[in-house]
Amino acid sequence: MIKLIHLTKTYKELRAVDDLNLEVKEGSLFGFLGPNGAGKTTTIKMMAGVLKPTSGRIIINGMDLAEEPEKVKQCIGFIPDRPYLYEKLTGMEFMKFIAGLYGMDHASSLQTRIRDLLEMFDLTHWRDELIESYSHGMKQRLVMCSALLPQPKVLIVDEPMVGLDPRGARLVKDLFMEQSRKKTTLFMSTHSLEVAAEVCQEIAIIQAGKIIARGTSEDLRKASGVDGSLESVFLKLTEGKRIAHATPLSAS
Amino acid sequence: MVVVGLAFWALLFGLSFRVLKYFQSVEVIGDLLAHHLLGMILMVFFSLLIFSHIITALSNLYLSSDLELCHASPAPIEQVFLSRAIYTVMDSSWMVIVFGLPVMMAYALVFKPGFGFYFSLLHMGLGVTLIAGAFGILLTMVLVRLFPAQRTRDVIMLLGVCGLGGLYMMFRLLRPERLVDPDAFFSIAQYMAALQGPDSPYLPTHWMTETLWAHLSRSSGKEILFHSGLLWSTAGALTAINVWVAEAIYFSGFSKSQEAKRRRAGKRLLDFFVAMIKRPFKPELGAIIDKDLRAFFRDNTQWSQLLLLGALVVVYVYNFSVLPLDKSPIRIEFLQNEIAFFNVGLAGFVLSAVSVRFIFPAVSSEGAAFWIIRSSPVPLKRFLWTKFALYLLPMLVLGEMLILLTNHLLEVTPFMMALSSATMFLSVFGIVALGVGMGAMYPNFNHQNIAQVATGFGGLMFMILSAAFVALIVVLEAGPVYLLVMAELRGVAVAGWQWVLIVLSFSAVLFIMAAAVYKPMTMGLKALSEHE
Repeated sequence: MIKLIHLTKTYKELRAVDDLNLEVKEGSLFGFLGPNGAGKTTTIKMMAGVLKPTSGRIIINGMDLAEEPEKVKQCIGFIPDRPYLYEKLTGMEFMKFIAGLYGMDHASSLQTRIRDLLEMFDLTHWRDELIESYSHGMKQRLVMCSALLPQPKVLIVDEPMVGLDPRGARLVKDLFMEQSRKKTTLFMSTHSLEVAAEVCQEIAIIQAGKIIARGTSEDLRKASGVDGSLESVFLKLTEGKRIAHATPLSAS
Repeated sequence: MVVVGLAFWALLFGLSFRVLKYFQSVEVIGDLLAHHLLGMILMVFFSLLIFSHIITALSNLYLSSDLELCHASPAPIEQVFLSRAIYTVMDSSWMVIVFGLPVMMAYALVFKPGFGFYFSLLHMGLGVTLIAGAFGILLTMVLVRLFPAQRTRDVIMLLGVCGLGGLYMMFRLLRPERLVDPDAFFSIAQYMAALQGPDSPYLPTHWMTETLWAHLSRSSGKEILFHSGLLWSTAGALTAINVWVAEAIYFSGFSKSQEAKRRRAGKRLLDFFVAMIKRPFKPELGAIIDKDLRAFFRDNTQWSQLLLLGALVVVYVYNFSVLPLDKSPIRIEFLQNEIAFFNVGLAGFVLSAVSVRFIFPAVSSEGAAFWIIRSSPVPLKRFLWTKFALYLLPMLVLGEMLILLTNHLLEVTPFMMALSSATMFLSVFGIVALGVGMGAMYPNFNHQNIAQVATGFGGLMFMILSAAFVALIVVLEAGPVYLLVMAELRGVAVAGWQWVLIVLSFSAVLFIMAAAVYKPMTMGLKALSEHE
């Protein structure tokens, strides 16, 4: 469902993502882990079509993002790490705006779907309030509602738990697992090893723009030689490279 | 920006110097005019200082992000208040003082006063600034006590814009040009009455004006000490009152401004208006238009600028109604048509100025939420053209209104009416495309305030290019228009070679207009696609 082929992104002096190759199967819940500055958000932004890769290809649902961007984006839902929204719209208006962008008609089924999503994320009482009066967590939940609205085949999620209360976090974890059961492919970056261990079927660890390990939690334990928590495995695999961020071009 | 600032400073000095020199050459009333002008200038500066202090105090005392740290520190509340208040006074008064300096220098150069003038200017200027600051901060504290800080900002901005628009219209409709033409008044008493400014012996600006004028006119300065005493005692008293009031209400106001307020959106009228506008568009384009219109009309700092625009149009048209065409030695029909033609250029410059405020920031207005458009299936090309379509209609209405109303007042020939309105119609396409395209070439998605976007390098470049575009159109059309108007007025036919020139000029105009639409939009699209 998702294929990243020799994906590279450089910013002037910095190679943030370095020749990344990755394949994620349909319906899988894929965790993307790594220390700060490893290249997670850059990779995710390129997959969502927000950033242009320096080189390499992104294939989603059998289509190349560079060649058919509109078709690819039509089947993607993107949840960024920081929920910047249009503050002067209400929650309901924002949902209708997203429906408009995805060319969804304004039939009664759409209204029902929006209402159901807002209800699911506990935003019904706030649907006619301006977004500027929402808390960070509420904005994050609204972004999730909007990402699910077009019923995407692929959900790309960057740090989903930031700003959510325990109830919201539980809801999101359950929702992701349910989406996966419905054959939606989830690509999720997270700092939370607990979340990754609980929900992800497969995990990749990125460091300095390169994948240094991938597989199930069990595979990673074997590869690291650590028979403990995922936190110990993560620390072992990234050992000695804790201060190594993305590779400066001069070093490569 | 420094160069622009220096040029404005020099212009202000040159203008003040020339006006004062002229006043000095007018017998009897010259000094009177200079005295009144000084009072009016100080009054304007005083009002600007109060307004500027209110805006800055809101930000520095209530909305600034570092305030949480200040209030969490063990410093007493009056110390926090005083340090922020002093910062506010410095922050909001430097610009008024810098731009007041060339005017005062012109007074000193023309009247050549003694050392006392400079001393009084310095200490009384400081005193007046402190009074304006104390008054502005006091008013802000009371307003924030009544409304939340965010809402207070909207209220102040709205009142400020309404006040500015009203003041501008009132000033123009009073026809100040008549003051330098005493013949226009029936009696000296009427003239003196017209000169009376909004002065009162209870105003700090009155005390400063009288003191400075005593030095400038070298008259007996019996009241200098009295006025200085009044000024400084008022400044001291207001500062003390400020600290007392701050101890009582500042922290509770700050605390209130931190609370999130549920804001229910006003809907019915807006829903109807938005539905009407977006009806002809596809759902994805309609969605962008819907969002832009709602955001614009819910932002008080945005829609209120339309009031200023209304005042601008009224004054613009009014200026044409009072043109003294009958006093001109040139044949009136020729003059009417010539003014109507150059009015296309003038109206074009007005549209450029409006565009830099409203259209140039259209792309940047997406702000940090631009990721939503980038990750959506709407191509950037369609997004940009939607912005173009949204602004085209109101700009066409504004442009044609300026042209048709003024042409009607000038009673121009049908040919000139058709030519000028067609030129304006097509030029609007170019101006709007330049605004949207260059806005995409120089986007600022991290702005705190959308009004700042227009004042950057991109905004300046847009103004220059848009003005050049309008000027080029006027220059290219000037020759053919002259030939056609003269032929019509003289009742003769246009010669063959003249037709060739006319066709070539109008073809060049059409080519430039098409290029002004196509080029900025494609360059803007390319820049936006590569923006990171």
